[in-house]
Amino acid sequence: MEKLEGIVAFVGNYGSGKTEVSINFAVDRKRAGIEVRIADLDLVNPYFRTREARGPLSDLGIDVVLPPEEFLQADLPILSPAVAGMLRQHGRLTVLDVGGEDVGARVLATLADSLRDKHVHMLLVVNPFRPFTDTVAGCLQIRDKIEKASKITVNGIIGNANLIDETAVQDIYKGYDFVRALSAESALPLMFITVAAELLPAIESKRFDCPILTIERQLVPPWKKPVQLKQGGSG
Amino acid sequence: MGRILMKGNEAIGEAAIRAGCLNYFAYPITPQSEVAEYLSRRMPEVGGVFLQGESEVAVGYMIFGAAGCGARVFTTSSSPGISLMSEALSYISGAECPAVFVNIMRGGPGLGGILPSQADYFQATKGGGHGDYRLLVMAPAGVQEAVEMVMKAFPLAEKYRNPVMILGDGLIGQMMEPVEFPDELKSEPSNNDDWATSGMETRKSSRRNLVKSLFLDSEQLEAHNRVLKAKYDRMRREEVRYEPYNLEADYKALIVSYGTMSRVCRTAVDILKVEGFEVGMVRPQTLFPFPEKAIEEAVRRESCKVAVSIEMSMGQMVEDVERSVRGRCPVEWFGKSGGDVPTPEEVIDAVKSFVKELI
Repeated sequence: MEKLEGIVAFVGNYGSGKTEVSINFAVDRKRAGIEVRIADLDLVNPYFRTREARGPLSDLGIDVVLPPEEFLQADLPILSPAVAGMLRQHGRLTVLDVGGEDVGARVLATLADSLRDKHVHMLLVVNPFRPFTDTVAGCLQIRDKIEKASKITVNGIIGNANLIDETAVQDIYKGYDFVRALSAESALPLMFITVAAELLPAIESKRFDCPILTIERQLVPPWKKPVQLKQGGSG
Repeated sequence: MGRILMKGNEAIGEAAIRAGCLNYFAYPITPQSEVAEYLSRRMPEVGGVFLQGESEVAVGYMIFGAAGCGARVFTTSSSPGISLMSEALSYISGAECPAVFVNIMRGGPGLGGILPSQADYFQATKGGGHGDYRLLVMAPAGVQEAVEMVMKAFPLAEKYRNPVMILGDGLIGQMMEPVEFPDELKSEPSNNDDWATSGMETRKSSRRNLVKSLFLDSEQLEAHNRVLKAKYDRMRREEVRYEPYNLEADYKALIVSYGTMSRVCRTAVDILKVEGFEVGMVRPQTLFPFPEKAIEEAVRRESCKVAVSIEMSMGQMVEDVERSVRGRCPVEWFGKSGGDVPTPEEVIDAVKSFVKELI
C-alpha cells in the first residue's frame, strides 16, 4: 500500500466499487499520516458518488475536490477546473475516483495535458460478482476499453470481491483466487484486496500475499448508517 | 450461476431476458438509463432486439405495435418519459394488448430532478392517459423483488391482456444488491391465436384478428368498457399483494408505505420497537389493486390510533389509505418529494407526533 503515492486513479466497470475503494483508500492513507486529496471524477453516475461522503472525509482532513456546490446534483458531466490544477501540482497522494467503464474513464483523456510526464497508478478495480467481470476475459476486455478511452495504461489490479452486506468469507477467498488468476494472465500486479471491517475477524489473512484494505462502508441506502470514520480507524 | 451483485436497473433488464422477453424498445433518461445501456449489450448476445426510439412517444407506439403482433415486449423509462408514453398506455389498454412498462421515478412535476421520488403514484394507479383504463401496478422494495416482479409481470400482462407497470423509485434503479434469477419464474408466452395480429401463416385458425381501440357505436363501446371493468375487478380479487410487518404487536400506529420508502419505515419500526413503542406496517406490493382489506383489517386493532401514509410524494397514496380505512381512525400523511429520502429518525418523529396529538 505504501508504494501507492503520487496520482492514484481507480477505474473499472460500473459498480465494481471504485468509489468505496477510493474513499477507504484515501482514509487509510490519511490515517498513515499522508496528506491526501481525493477528486470525484465520476461524470456518469447519478447516485452513490464520492460527493456523498464529503462531510466525513473533510472531517478527517482529507481534501475533497468536487464540482462547484450549485452543480453537485446537476445531471451534467461537469469537471471541476480545480482538478487540472491539482494534477499539475499534485501533493504526496492524489486519489482519482473515475467513472465506470470506457465512458467514465474518458475524462482522464481530457486531463492528458495535466497528466503529461507524470506517473499514474492506474488501478483496475474488479469485483468478480458483477456482470461482465466474472471471467478473466471479461476483465481484460474492460481494461482494453478503459485504456483506449483514457489513453493511459492500466498498471495494477484491485480485488474488490463482495456482495455488499451478504458477503461471506468464502466469497473473499474465491474473489482472491480470481484476481490472482487475472494477475497471472495479464501480468499486472495485484496491489491489494478489500475486506469489509465486519468480516475481517473471520478472514485468514495468511492466505493472501497482498495487502488488505479494510472497507468501512460509506455509500449506503437511506435506511442504513455509514460506518463512522474515526481518526485512528476501527482496528 | 450463483448470486451476483447488480444495480437495480441492470437486474431489471436481465430479469426481462430471463422471463423470455427479447423485445425491448426505450429511450434513455436518468435514473433509468442503465437498463438501456445494459440491454444494448445483452440483447444482441441472446438474439433479442433493443431499439432506441426517437422519443418516448415513439417508443410507446413501438410497444403497442409489437404487443399487437403478439410479441413479448417491454420498455423502461422515468417519470417525464412515462408521461410521454401515457397516450400509448391508454391505446394499449383499450386494445387489450399485454406489455410491461417500468417507471424508475424521479422528482417532478415537469423536468423536476433526477433523485428518487414516488410522485407518479396517481399517474400509475389512476390514469395518466385518458379513458376508463387501469394498469396492474407492482412496486418493488429491493432489487431481488424487482427481479421477481419483472419476471411475473409478463405472464400477468398476458393473463389480463393489459399493460403491467413496475413502479420503482430512483433508488431501486441505482442501488446495488445481490440477486438471483429464479428459474421457476420463467414462463412461456401464452397462446394469442385468438386476438393477436401475428400473421395467418403461424396461426392455426383462419379467423382474422383485429387490434383496435376504436368503437364508434355507443353500445359497442359500452360493452367493451364493461369487459375492461370486469378485468380490473378480477385483478382486485386475484392480484392484491402486500407485506405485513410487526402486525402481531399491539401497535399504536399503522404505517402504510411502499418501495424503498418502506425500508426506511421498517428501520424506524425496529428502532421504535426497542423503545417499547409499537408500530405496525402494511407494505403494498401492488398499488393497483390496492390492499384495501388488509389496511382496513389492520386499523381494526384496538390499540391502533392512527394510520400514516409515508411516501416520497406530497400526499398521493394517502387518498387510497383514507379510502381503505373507511373512517375507522384518523389518517395522516408524512413525506418528502424533493429527492432526499426521509431518514428513519424523521419517520420516527412524524409517527410519534401523530400519536401524541391523539392522546
